[in-house]
Amino acid sequence: MHERSLVKKLLQQVQQIAAAEQADVIEEIHVQIGPLAGIEPLLFETAFAELANLTLGAPCRLHLELVPLTACCADCGEQFEVINFEFRCPVCLADSVHTLQGDEVKLISITVNSEDSLDGART
Amino acid sequence: MTRHTIIVKKDVQAEDKANAEMERERLGRRGTLVINLLSSPGSGKTSLLEATARHFAGRRTMAVLVGDLETDRDAQRLSPLVPTAQLTTGGACHLELPLVQRGLEALGDPEVDFLFIENVGNLVCPASHDLAEHLRVVLISTTEGDDKPGKYPKMFRTSQAMVITKTDLLPHLPFSVAAVTEDALRIQPKLEIMSVSALNESGMSAWCDFLEQQHQQLLAAYHETATR
Repeated sequence: MHERSLVKKLLQQVQQIAAAEQADVIEEIHVQIGPLAGIEPLLFETAFAELANLTLGAPCRLHLELVPLTACCADCGEQFEVINFEFRCPVCLADSVHTLQGDEVKLISITVNSEDSLDGART
Repeated sequence: MTRHTIIVKKDVQAEDKANAEMERERLGRRGTLVINLLSSPGSGKTSLLEATARHFAGRRTMAVLVGDLETDRDAQRLSPLVPTAQLTTGGACHLELPLVQRGLEALGDPEVDFLFIENVGNLVCPASHDLAEHLRVVLISTTEGDDKPGKYPKMFRTSQAMVITKTDLLPHLPFSVAAVTEDALRIQPKLEIMSVSALNESGMSAWCDFLEQQHQQLLAAYHETATR
């Protein structure tokens, strides 16, 4: 299962972003996954629970949001939810469609706490 | 303490995908078509490669990077035929680009027509990792059952071709080529579908013609970019 390797990648990126923002505590990480992300949510959560504390040095909440799989028809422009992995436009029946969301692991946001610096020099 | 939310909205694999794109570009520009072969364990990736190597012998050049959790058994089978490097993942369920690049380096970065990456046998995890391939080919053997595409949609959605293997066994099995084709096309309507038997070589010409055609298209695409 590759959930662990993706959680590691996620945490590394979160750490970099938090460091750049001079954040002291990472409270919550909001991640979106969809039916074609190749992720089993339970395994992802388990790996996160195990690795977050280890990597970030403090507990952190994971907001794992499951989004529907949506696509856009290249012929008529119809945007639709892909049901049962049927990649065909429900309106014009064209099979040239591209995925809009639901096929990746997306880091949406990070909620952090920063120590207020005394001289207010935080940039 | 000040609490605030940093908006990121970024694919966690964005950097990996960008690196893969660069490597794909580099290999494509010099005329190497990279093919990522994916399937369950035991569906005939190595046998297909052996038969492909025999077919191309003396006419086209190829090299193989072969991924396994342990052992170099596949590399031992292939190396008498073509330059082969074994990538051992040490238990990991899929290959990632840095390992592929290391293997390529071990072979001396050969300027071949076809670079095959035989992925770890697994229909799940490898689907999520771009290895800089120009062509992703999923194999499904007749002994696995014709209901697999719907069970592993990401693998079939992200592939450009599906090769049905071990067709010599068809008379003995309830496997339906029509059913597997229908199920796969529902998920990826653009899928190129071929049937082969590496054992009796049936379908091998069509498979190799397909590869040659893909290689020609790659050369044409880069020639066009160069002369534009």
